[in-house]
Amino acid sequence: MKKLLSFLLVLGTLLVLAACGSSNSSEEEPAETSGDETETASNEVNLYTARHYDVDDELYKKFEEETGIKVNLIKGEADELLERIKREGDATQADLFLTADAGRLHRAKEDGILQSVSSDVLDEQIPANFQDEDQMWYGLTKRARVIMYDKEKVDPSELSTYEALTEDEWAGRVLIRSSENIYNQSLLASFIELNGEEEAKEWAAGMVENFARDPEGGDRDQAKAIAAGVGDVAIMNTYYFGQMLNSEDPEEVKVAESLDVFFPNQDTTGTHVNVSGAGVVKSAKNQENAIKLLEFLSAPEAQETFASVNYEYPVNEAVEPSELLQSWGDFKEQDISMSALGENNAKAILLFNEVGWK
Amino acid sequence: MQRRLANFNIWTVGAVVIILMLFLPNLTIVTGFFTPSNDNWEHMKEFVLRQFVINSLILTLATAFFTILIGLSLAWLIAQYDFPFRRFLKWALILPLSIPPFIGAYTYHGILNFTGAVQTTLREGFGMELDPAYFDIMNLPGAIFIYTMFLYPYVYTITQVYLSEQSASLIESTRLLGKGPWRTFFQVVLPISRISIIAGASLVVLEVLNDYGVVKYYGIQTFTTAIFQSWFGLGDLDTSIKLAASLMGFVIIILLIEKLLRGRRQYSYFSTKVRPLQLIPLSGWKGFAAAGYGMLILSLGFFIPVIQLIDWTILTFGTIPMEEFLRYVQNSVFVAGLSATLIVILALIVGNFARMVQGKYTKLLPKLTVLGYSIPGAVIAVAVVTAFVALDGYLAPVYMAIGLETTLVLSVSIVLLLAAYIIRFFAIGYNSIETGYDKIGTNFRDASRLLGAGPTKTFFKVDVPMMKGAIISGFILVFIDVLKEIPLTLILRPFNFDTLSTKAFQYASDEKIMEASQASLLIVGISALAIVIFYKILEKEMD
Amino acid sequence: MFVAIEDVSFSYPNTQAPALDRFTLDIKKGEVISILGRSGSGKSTILRLLAGLERPKNGRLVIQDETLFDDKTFLQPEKRGIGMVFQDYALFPHMTVAANIMFGLSGMKKADKKRRMHEMLELVELEEYEKRYPHQLSGGQQQRVAIARAIAPNPHLILLDEPFSNLDAELQGKIRKDLREILKKANITSIFVTHDEKDAHILADRIVKLKDGKMDFVGRPCDMLDTFRQEAIAESEEVLKSQPVVNV
Ligand SMILES: Nc1ncnc2c1ncn2[C@@H]1O[C@H](COP(=O)(O)OP(=O)(O)O)[C@@H](O)[C@H]1O
Ligand SMILES: [Mg+2]
Repeated sequence: MKKLLSFLLVLGTLLVLAACGSSNSSEEEPAETSGDETETASNEVNLYTARHYDVDDELYKKFEEETGIKVNLIKGEADELLERIKREGDATQADLFLTADAGRLHRAKEDGILQSVSSDVLDEQIPANFQDEDQMWYGLTKRARVIMYDKEKVDPSELSTYEALTEDEWAGRVLIRSSENIYNQSLLASFIELNGEEEAKEWAAGMVENFARDPEGGDRDQAKAIAAGVGDVAIMNTYYFGQMLNSEDPEEVKVAESLDVFFPNQDTTGTHVNVSGAGVVKSAKNQENAIKLLEFLSAPEAQETFASVNYEYPVNEAVEPSELLQSWGDFKEQDISMSALGENNAKAILLFNEVGWK
Repeated sequence: MQRRLANFNIWTVGAVVIILMLFLPNLTIVTGFFTPSNDNWEHMKEFVLRQFVINSLILTLATAFFTILIGLSLAWLIAQYDFPFRRFLKWALILPLSIPPFIGAYTYHGILNFTGAVQTTLREGFGMELDPAYFDIMNLPGAIFIYTMFLYPYVYTITQVYLSEQSASLIESTRLLGKGPWRTFFQVVLPISRISIIAGASLVVLEVLNDYGVVKYYGIQTFTTAIFQSWFGLGDLDTSIKLAASLMGFVIIILLIEKLLRGRRQYSYFSTKVRPLQLIPLSGWKGFAAAGYGMLILSLGFFIPVIQLIDWTILTFGTIPMEEFLRYVQNSVFVAGLSATLIVILALIVGNFARMVQGKYTKLLPKLTVLGYSIPGAVIAVAVVTAFVALDGYLAPVYMAIGLETTLVLSVSIVLLLAAYIIRFFAIGYNSIETGYDKIGTNFRDASRLLGAGPTKTFFKVDVPMMKGAIISGFILVFIDVLKEIPLTLILRPFNFDTLSTKAFQYASDEKIMEASQASLLIVGISALAIVIFYKILEKEMD
Repeated sequence: MFVAIEDVSFSYPNTQAPALDRFTLDIKKGEVISILGRSGSGKSTILRLLAGLERPKNGRLVIQDETLFDDKTFLQPEKRGIGMVFQDYALFPHMTVAANIMFGLSGMKKADKKRRMHEMLELVELEEYEKRYPHQLSGGQQQRVAIARAIAPNPHLILLDEPFSNLDAELQGKIRKDLREILKKANITSIFVTHDEKDAHILADRIVKLKDGKMDFVGRPCDMLDTFRQEAIAESEEVLKSQPVVNV
């Protein structure tokens, strides 16, 4: 009897607490008084960022010096940060959400956590195709996902398109990381947009057939696998290649030097590019400061830093890519809306699962 | 009525509240299991789930097997024999615990890959171009190796302490009965250390199930992969919660098995009569073999990765900003120390409750708190944020009243992070404390109460001092774990709050493992220091 | 009556059979009662119930007109004024002999505590051992400390659970005598549990015999001899009967 009673007591408390939890989520915040919030008074901007580069920190510091606006940071992984902002709802402290993938930016927009902002400066610095249609987010840097090849074993004339890598002559020679990675998901998402689901799936299946090994490691590891002779070509992002060329480890430099960049699909749909970008959070308390930070990051000075230190392509057309990037040559980019990467992301994951791309 | 009420003293109320708070986030997951399945769930089941489950099973079972093999054999050697370096190995063998598995994974890959030390040396020093596949560690066996090398100390420590405390006569009598060391091992040592082996191995299993860093980098798809894929990739929280709930079901089964295997054992206590084991000297090659074996494991689990980290630190020194490192150290030690303290206190209260209550259901209650250890950090994080945002909602009038402008106070403070740590690591502290309570049994408590001391005085005057060892070991284990922790720290920290592990992760996630070495090395250094201090205190206790 | 135990029944959780079935006993002040019975017959259970370590299903316990439990009351163990010597003594290993003995002396001045402690040590003849830790004592010495600790707060009733089981035969003999002397000297009412007839005969004023949780016999040691003899005869006859006769 006693033990039953205590058990019931426990169960009861649990249920009460659970009920409280669920009822609360539907409740309106009582302190919803954003109207009279003093937005200009504050001298800071709160940034949730999924970019972890030291160069970003340097830029924020510079921004602080120039404007006197303090940049508060939470660095995390994009998906988790997004979820956190969602859960924090209207009360969130986040003013700006910054991430390294257009797909995530699109999802943030879909989830309704971003707001549309406009400024002449932004329009001038960032071309229209790297802005969200509704100006919910703005691209800041570009990365190209290219084919890297072994200079000794592969003649660039053998290379043409991403699709060509699925042909028989490449059987057992192709290297790429796992499908868990967002860069691959966005790549396949772009193919779904350009060629339709059917062809995209065929491409993925063809790649799996030609894998030199089961996907493992990151982008750099694919480059090393070429040097090790595991495969002959790899799909990877250019900025990793830039980092390897400038590595502190002479062995990595040696590996990088044995490789070269090939921009695929120049005669067809163009090379896949993705962006890093940021959007102002819907219930931002420091909206103006957030816009100022966006303007600062897309201004020539910051854009040059991104390009030279982090080997990313600037979105601001007034800025030339760094010397190293220029040495790889100009290239034609995929002509699709960045939002498409987000829209097709889930489909891409399902396709990867279906064709057995680990 | 009064008789019943007497049972609900302040301790009981406290314990039940703690258990509920720790369990609440899990509740959202349990209920999620009963939502109807959707297309994504069906898709998962059709294409990938089978392979994910198989991978997870192989990974956990193989890791459990190897950690037991290594942990138990080392514990046995140290507890029973004397050989060169024994005193050093006794505590040094815990050191691999100080290396976060994901750092270990990156480091070993760094050593073994094409540009790593091994292949480079072979290539340049000896002109040997071996098939790189020989050195590929990024696969299932590789991941098993990583987990084994960095997690075996869980089995080793618990078992070694347990074996050292076994009555000498038990083991000596077996030997007097003419059984050789091997038969003694299999017929006596193995069965009697069953409980400690299971306790250690279940921590290992939970740790493996929860980890995401290693398998993600090595490209091994496990159950956790599926949870993340459906949640973040497909934006389908329902499916991922369903998966998490299945994982929790699996963990509950493990816990029940543990409980069953522990069985109706008679609790031992700090008997005043136990004579310590007389060490048997191993002479000649046997002694060297034993020392060699210990050194080999220690090298694989500690020295080799540490040397590599030192090498990288030297290589990249000055290329990354270092001014803030002192603050990262402070932050890390602060959150680790504070959460370890809180967990130990809460575990003491819950453990005391578990010991006092009777009845099947109430006895199982404290076990629920262990579930947090099995759930991927990111899932806990979201549950905790949800809970705290709700809590702040309730408190909003209070905030207004005291003139705060914002309605999110707790959920943007360090409290959020600490709460998440407590949910996540309570199991580790509790395991240790529970063993402590088991060991002292209830006789001393009964004796104290019959001498007129109430439950509270008994707790502070009798229980706590007698469990010093268990309390310290619980503290250190949690401390080290928090120091290494990644997903929670990353997502739940307040603004501008960096720790050593977030810093290490920042570089490692961007494939800059060399740049990650400084922060990693500091994590290892602090953890190692904690282990040494812990060991010294325990040594003093033993005298 | 000094101690009145009435109709006490109890069963452990998750078990069917009652561990104790309607146990009733009256004890005079200063009397030494011995509870005798095979292992598992419920001896320890009685002590735990009296001490308040378990809650009885029903029954009553009154000591010197104070109700310790009945249908309405249940006094926590620390409030009962009952002392207990555990089977394994349960001396706190982290405290010295002196600290162990003084543990139960709360609400006294420090000096009074010390005085009482020395009195106790004198009683059990361990004056020299005040500063030692339990593990530095022999089994017999530990037992005497445990008794001293239990008696120190001046309990109404002291319970001893198989106090001799951990001692060697020679020591047993000596301690048995010591114990009776100590108990009588202190004029403390006591119940001690044993499975050894000899203990009971030498020590007890009265003997209670337990079988499967039920009272089987109660009386003076000399009364018991007769019943015991009869029982033994009956038992041996049974054994004989059940064995097929194959003697050639
Ligand atoms: N904690 C317990 N849970 C369930 N049964 C118990 C417990 N303790 C004792 N028992 C059972 O109650 C009966 C009486 O036990 P006990 O009083 O300890 O016997 P004794 O002291 O005479 O050897 C035995 O059958 C024993 O198995
Ligand atoms: Mg007994």
